[in-house]
Amino acid sequence: MRRGLFVYTEDHYTIRRIYMDFYKKWFWPLLTPAIILFLLVILFPFIVGVLNSFLAWRGTYYFDPDTGVRAQSVFSSFVGFENYRNAFQDQRFVRALIYTVQYTLVAVVVVNFVGLGLALLVTKVNRGAGLFRTVFFLPNMLGGLALGFIWQFIFQIVFTNILFSPEGLLHIPFLRYMTQNSTKALFALVILNAWQFGGYMMIIYIAGLGNISRDYYEAASIDGASPMRTFRSITVPMLMPSFTVVFFLTLSNSFKLLDQNVALTDGEFNTRLLAMQILRTVRDTTPPDYGKAQAQAVIFFLLVAVITLTQVYVTKKRELEL
Amino acid sequence: MVYVVLIIITLYTLAPLWFLFTNSFKGQAEIIRDPLGPPTSYSFEYIKNAIEQIHFFRSLAITFFITFFSVALIVLISSVGAWILVRNKTKWSQVIFMAFVAAMLIPFQAIMYPLIQFFDTLGLKNVYGLVFMYGGFGLSMSVFLYHGFVKGVPKGIEEAGIIDGCNIIQLFSHIVLPLLSSITVTVIVLNSMWIWNDYLLPFLVIGNSTTKTLVLELYFARILAGQFGNPWELIFPSVLVTIVPIVIIFLFLQKYIVKGITEGAIKS
Repeated sequence: MRRGLFVYTEDHYTIRRIYMDFYKKWFWPLLTPAIILFLLVILFPFIVGVLNSFLAWRGTYYFDPDTGVRAQSVFSSFVGFENYRNAFQDQRFVRALIYTVQYTLVAVVVVNFVGLGLALLVTKVNRGAGLFRTVFFLPNMLGGLALGFIWQFIFQIVFTNILFSPEGLLHIPFLRYMTQNSTKALFALVILNAWQFGGYMMIIYIAGLGNISRDYYEAASIDGASPMRTFRSITVPMLMPSFTVVFFLTLSNSFKLLDQNVALTDGEFNTRLLAMQILRTVRDTTPPDYGKAQAQAVIFFLLVAVITLTQVYVTKKRELEL
Repeated sequence: MVYVVLIIITLYTLAPLWFLFTNSFKGQAEIIRDPLGPPTSYSFEYIKNAIEQIHFFRSLAITFFITFFSVALIVLISSVGAWILVRNKTKWSQVIFMAFVAAMLIPFQAIMYPLIQFFDTLGLKNVYGLVFMYGGFGLSMSVFLYHGFVKGVPKGIEEAGIIDGCNIIQLFSHIVLPLLSSITVTVIVLNSMWIWNDYLLPFLVIGNSTTKTLVLELYFARILAGQFGNPWELIFPSVLVTIVPIVIIFLFLQKYIVKGITEGAIKS
């Protein structure tokens, strides 16, 4: 604009005002649907859920522990931390908690290795890379329940009767009857999920590997660095952002896993993970103890929140240090 | 050498799908006797039986309905919401955005029981209610993704539109939305994959009624028939027909799906 300075700034100012007014006018109208949906589906149930964890909630009604009948008002149903105490005294809940932590530890490591391994392999080749990628990613598109059923068959029939039976390919007793023992079932679940999610994590690692400039590798090869050394000093540090993402995803996926757990063992042989424990608590007793289930759900929320926040904090910090 | 390893892994990855395919054509006895080989005869009787048992076409239509409208709701509401959150920076926009981000920490289990009870009292414990629930759940992540993307979109074109007197609908649908198309693909992919395959929410909302989704039909077929051992001759063809639509969609839209996943992962 080749005009006088004064005219230009005034023009500019009024035009800015027009934009600002426009955005301001539409701020609440455009946000209202999102806010309403958020309040109805997330915030309101969340608050009610936390409150209910302190009440003798039975699902359809509130119970009054003093009179032994239906509570006259919500206040007479207040039981303090009773539901939380009950939860921790419930063997099934404590077991599910430990089992979930164990499963998560193993799964995070294994799925990460599988994902990274696949990514390194696929990026090594030129011809057919797209095809391999497609195949490895395919299991992700399918539902956990459907895949769980297929793998239940593999563990119960193919592993047990054919591959690892005494007359089979290799006699490995640990790999037989994997769905009928809580320790073995944990590894069965890991095998299933490494198979399913490995390809997803691979995609993220491939994107990360693609972002590393070729120059670093050229410099390394000029300096005569060994492949191991190059991997440790260039690939790993440069992949840190991808590690953050993959850790975050596998951690929360494993901690909240439900479908595969339902399909594979349905919680038999003490194989309930926390998500299933919360779902099944209301079936464990009559009348259903929703108060206790809700207390477990609040504990679950706190664990998920703490783990996720710590994890994001730690990896972000490490990323900055490097 | 690398190819040998890759091919072995490919076979390992495809093996379960081969079991699924081959055993969908066999009877129970043959499945147990010979679970790995091809069927002695390609008989479609088990698949036909499965299609009837899980009411395939009805449940497919229901699943499609739920996924389509939920994703449409999520895309519409979160794109306009996130866009105006970025464009009108105030204290409120910060607070609202933080609330959406914080909500991503809440696992579904923490709210499911009160949510179902609440929707039941509203008379929405049905397929329509399900669409709203998915709308609410998908919102946080989608607003987050759109928010990150809109920050990088220059305002120039929109502001020219405003000066030229576009109304809000024209502005959004003709100018803003096309600029957001790449992140919209991500939002659609991530949400549809999750909603299509979801088991828990439909289980709690619909349960064993006549409007079951594909996943629910599969679950109940397995539960009801499986009281006396595992009816593999029903399970395999049922699983096969439920995954066929998604595999077809995947093979056609692969490029977009992989792109969607990658961008979604990097942004979050």
